[in-house]
Amino acid sequence: MIGEWKDPRKEFGKAVSEIAEEKEDIVVISTDSGFSSGFKEFAGKHPDRYVECGIMEQGATGIAAGLACVGKTPVFCAIAPFVTCRNYEMFRNDLGYMRQNVKIVGRNGGFTYSDLGATHHSLEDFAITRMIPGVTVLCPQDPVEIRQACKAMLEMEGPVYMRIGNPKIPVLFEEDSPFAIGKGRLIRDGGDVTILSTGTVTAEVIKAAELLEAKGIHARVIGLGTVCPLDEEMILKAARETGRIVTVEEHYAQGGLGTMVAEFLSETEPVKVKKIGVPKEYATSGPYEDLIRYYGLDSESIAETVEKFCRE
Amino acid sequence: MADRIAKLELEAARCRRNVVRMVEASHHGHLGGAMSCLDIVTALYFDKMHVGPEYIQDPERDRFILSAGHKCMAQYAVMAERGIFDKSILDTYGGFKTKIPGHPDMYKLPGVEANTGALGHGLAIATGMALGLRNDGKKAGVYVVMGDGELAEGSNWEAAAAAAHFGLSNLTLFVDYNGLQISGRVEDVMNFMPVTEKFRSFGWSVREIDGNNMAEVVETLDALPFQQGKPSMILARTVKSKGISFAEGKAAYHYWTPSGDELETAIRETEDAIKRLEAVCGEVQA
Repeated sequence: MIGEWKDPRKEFGKAVSEIAEEKEDIVVISTDSGFSSGFKEFAGKHPDRYVECGIMEQGATGIAAGLACVGKTPVFCAIAPFVTCRNYEMFRNDLGYMRQNVKIVGRNGGFTYSDLGATHHSLEDFAITRMIPGVTVLCPQDPVEIRQACKAMLEMEGPVYMRIGNPKIPVLFEEDSPFAIGKGRLIRDGGDVTILSTGTVTAEVIKAAELLEAKGIHARVIGLGTVCPLDEEMILKAARETGRIVTVEEHYAQGGLGTMVAEFLSETEPVKVKKIGVPKEYATSGPYEDLIRYYGLDSESIAETVEKFCRE
Repeated sequence: MADRIAKLELEAARCRRNVVRMVEASHHGHLGGAMSCLDIVTALYFDKMHVGPEYIQDPERDRFILSAGHKCMAQYAVMAERGIFDKSILDTYGGFKTKIPGHPDMYKLPGVEANTGALGHGLAIATGMALGLRNDGKKAGVYVVMGDGELAEGSNWEAAAAAAHFGLSNLTLFVDYNGLQISGRVEDVMNFMPVTEKFRSFGWSVREIDGNNMAEVVETLDALPFQQGKPSMILARTVKSKGISFAEGKAAYHYWTPSGDELETAIRETEDAIKRLEAVCGEVQA
């Protein structure tokens, strides 16, 4: 139900577990991380398909590749930096270069592990995973899209990186709304500026668009559940029709969605692009809401930045 | 048994000639490690493993993972001799868009099971394969050749722990211990001795053999798995650049760019070895 708050990890674990009841090739890889990823019930029910590797992300990535080589579909979920940075060469070679059907899920992504500090933040995961040829990068925006993304990634062949968060998030989309990998959602139409966002920060962007509307700025909002590949068609159309693009992501403003959009538009429709994200620094720690505000990712800050950009 | 060993020695000699043939084409290559592990790879492909041109997609096939991907000339030499690809491809080694690049690529060369080259990846991939095969009730085995200098990659020890934890009897690891890496003796660069005790303490069943002695290699392969419920590790003492007299036991030939009459000598020596072993095989059969 729209507006209902749900735990993204539980939604994810439940979605994959349900699909795995039908698709017996799915195996879940844990690095002492499976229970926290929503797989406790699955582990009890299917011990033969639950591979506990201990705290071993490099080894587990290689093991996942090997399992995929013999026909399994491994889903490996752990804290985001440990399944993207720690194991990067295994991701690049064993999954990317070897084109293996492994789904890597970084949970507690962005700085949702806010108080645990920079070792547990992942603000470069889009940047590094999207540079591995053949890897699809997903970042669902609400609980409904988490379930849709799980289904879609398990229906496609090939390596996927999906980022989910940690705190409860509101339902934004209807259960039966369409979802496809590589396709954006037109959440709100408008002609003055387009705001492209990915991940759970989309909830703040939707509120920001309402604040902007009150000030007479008609913002188009496009939500991107897929970071890579970009929905180029929708982005190009938005650039042509609104002339201004803002990107919003809980990621470094460099290297991620904003950079990808700027790269694409600079060669196709070179409009001004404003990238809202975290500056390239080791983010500070504290309550999540405080970090969101500090880095300008709350609705009011987003609205303020967009308004300034529109009046430039 | 004598007949079986003599035949495998002859195959290994032919494969050594194939290695030199690749260097004739490219004028460079990782010679030392290819030659040191070559007897093991020959025995695996010709005597032990369920592999062959007709089984490339067979789910029941055995898997060979060359974790030390730079030793790929050994694998190419053996696969070509085994008929998995045409020998004319050997002459494209080092060439533009070759099927047989300086590290193996499963999409360029069907029959290769993993894209190795970066060290410390093969054992984890093999562990995943062995786990999946075992859990599916398949009989297939997974065989890994790792370098000795490669032991310093920590990721190997993650996989070593996991393979033992999962009790993978269908996984066999050869450590090609020629004792030399680029910068010198392995013990001087980063000492991992005693390797056998390390693996034993990790929960592996372990043997130490002369990896260039075909009879010992075959006897070892016949004894697999050494113990039910444990992966098997063989510390194979080998000679770097085995079979090429001027390069044997020399770290400088880890990567070989032939100079002077080295290539001619290598061709002559490997061809002489084939003739000698053909004669031996003839006698054994007679």
